[in-house]
Amino acid sequence: MIMKTDEQDSNPSFVLRAIKDVAFEDRDVPKLRDEHDVRVHIAQTGICGSDVHYWQRGRIGDFILNSPIVLGHESSGTVVEVGSAVKNVKVGQRVAVEPGVPCRFCDYCRSGQYNLCNDTIFAATPPWDGTLSKYYVVASDYTYPIPDHMNMEEGALVEPVAVAVQITKVADLRANQTVVVFGCGPIGVLCQAVAKAYGASRVIGVDVVQSRLDFASSFGADDVFLPPKPESGVDPIEHAETVAALLKEKFNLGEGPDIVLECTGAEPCIQAGVFVTKKGGTYVQAGMGKEVVAFPITTACIRALNIKGSIRYTTGCYPAAVDLVASGKIDVKRLITNRFKFEEAEQAFELVKAGKQDVFKVVIEGVQ
Amino acid sequence: MGQEVRPPLPDCLLIYPTTPPYALERDETLTTMQNLSFVLEKTGVVKFEDRPVPKLASDYDVLVNVKFTGICGSDVHYWQHGAIGSFIVKAPMVLGHESSGIITAVGDKVSTVKVGDRVAMEPGIPCRRCIRCKDGKYNLCVDMRFAATPPIDGTLAKYYTLPEDFCYKLPESVSLEEGALMEPLAVGVHITRQANIQPGQSVVVFGSGPVGLLCCAVAKAYGANKIVAVDINKERLDFAKSYAATDIVVSQRESAADSAARIIKDCDLGHGADVAIDASGAEPCIQAGIHVLRTGGTYVQAGMGKSDITFPIGAMGAKELNVKGSFRYSSGDYRTSVDLVTSGRVSVKELISNKVKFLDAETAFNDVKAAKGIKVLIEGVEDSA
Repeated sequence: MIMKTDEQDSNPSFVLRAIKDVAFEDRDVPKLRDEHDVRVHIAQTGICGSDVHYWQRGRIGDFILNSPIVLGHESSGTVVEVGSAVKNVKVGQRVAVEPGVPCRFCDYCRSGQYNLCNDTIFAATPPWDGTLSKYYVVASDYTYPIPDHMNMEEGALVEPVAVAVQITKVADLRANQTVVVFGCGPIGVLCQAVAKAYGASRVIGVDVVQSRLDFASSFGADDVFLPPKPESGVDPIEHAETVAALLKEKFNLGEGPDIVLECTGAEPCIQAGVFVTKKGGTYVQAGMGKEVVAFPITTACIRALNIKGSIRYTTGCYPAAVDLVASGKIDVKRLITNRFKFEEAEQAFELVKAGKQDVFKVVIEGVQ
Repeated sequence: MGQEVRPPLPDCLLIYPTTPPYALERDETLTTMQNLSFVLEKTGVVKFEDRPVPKLASDYDVLVNVKFTGICGSDVHYWQHGAIGSFIVKAPMVLGHESSGIITAVGDKVSTVKVGDRVAMEPGIPCRRCIRCKDGKYNLCVDMRFAATPPIDGTLAKYYTLPEDFCYKLPESVSLEEGALMEPLAVGVHITRQANIQPGQSVVVFGSGPVGLLCCAVAKAYGANKIVAVDINKERLDFAKSYAATDIVVSQRESAADSAARIIKDCDLGHGADVAIDASGAEPCIQAGIHVLRTGGTYVQAGMGKSDITFPIGAMGAKELNVKGSFRYSSGDYRTSVDLVTSGRVSVKELISNKVKFLDAETAFNDVKAAKGIKVLIEGVEDSA
């Protein structure tokens, strides 16, 4: 069943043709690949650091831009066509889109770790097209209905909330634990909010930008911390130990927080994060920065830390994220600082790239 | 159990099983048949029937020529009772699910196996899309299609189709007969994982049928240092002792608490066992299993008997036991089974009591029903009589 579309219907798309080279292209309306697929008319798309990174550098790790791809992966939309075996959504339903569909056959998929599948089709990770098109085709079980009172912008913000849910899942956060989150960007503040919603007794946000700390205070963090700059000539590792000690002292964290969520990827934060975690505690690396850093490994060893990486999301994260937004526990609307029309997509990307302090989450409207 | 009256068979069948060894009574031979199958027509009635060779449902499917099939209590139960719980035989269904075979055709996108590969066959295909599947617990899939669980046909046929990731290649050193034992071994592996058996622990296994025996073997491979087999049948227990158990206990008529106390005393279990596995489904064993555990111990229900029983819930609560169910197998269990047999840490050859020809399948079912032997294998359909 298909929602009636104009015979002249097309699929305007925002394409990354090569490094730093974006353009609008008119592509074909995508077809359903099998009876489990749905076609979504994209309503809103948020921009992520990874989108900007592919645009500027053309690669993240082993994912290299070799041919043009449509950008974008944080989207919401309306279902306009469903395959014959689709049961969970109907034409006309408003959904949040989970942008990475795994193969379902490999050992990772079969053991519940589909975020690790080597053959995942992930929107806007080369070579796969993203969601900044009029239409996007995806497996139906990777679309999640959103309630009527959630708007499409909130639907698009479900993706970063799902990332934060996965990070807390990896951290195995339990009620009444203390949490320090390095980074008060979108992922950092969402981790802080999810941690609070999941019963953490104390959540502390760390950042070097005061305005971000102010926002974090008003959002999910119980307390915030601006680490002092290192004095000239001080060894960075020593400085990280100092920052960790200051954190513990200022916020009465005793031997340290139970959980540290590292959402910056910045080397000094990674180091401070390892030093501040209490013995036997858990440190989760979520942020991506330099690929290789100086890591206090002996501290990690002696203090028997659990050190884990977190990537994307697994089963249950999207439904949990929709619920956190729908129930009002996390007000994602407050993260949106700038809005653009589809035709202004390039300006939107430029704005994110400029990295101004007052720009937080930027969303691009879909093709009308 | 009186004389079984064999119902008259229709002309469409080319074989008339009379008494073993079965003989062909017509000129047509097995070579003219496409896909001879052993079918449960309805409760109590089995027959041989030719069916079309199954087509590959997707590019990721393979066609397997089935070589050996073991029989499980569930197969016998469907035969005798026509139902297990809400699964009811409403139409004729091919029996069997514990099989191994040789791949004879592969779909266009198959990359992990090839024609000629000898494989153990995992007979339950999950949907891959539901929450249970994506969470790594595909044995709990709501849309599971399991061979010989109605209405899905089983593997007692010449051919069977499966997705490639449900076929596990057997190394040269592992026979196809052993390959058919991978299914019950995977059940044993799954149970042992549910029980979270750690090296050095003590385990009591109630029931020394194939599953109970295999649980003992896997527990041993996983480093348990005391493995107690409990059964009513001394012969089975003697076998268990020669196979994998360190201690054996014969069940007696006594209260469950007394039985547990006796097991603890006779086997030096200190404050109680770390793990108890019930592979019998028998109410007295389930009760004894709870009582035989130390505080904080783990109990796993694997056996299936009465659906509702009298359960020592007070002891369970006061001792803070972990009580879990175990159902079939999921991610990694089959591969672990193949690895355990390949490396010699678990041996399954000893469990094979008898092999019968395909046309003698009903004899095999009767033997299992009479609890004769441990594992009876039915050979695959021969290409010629």
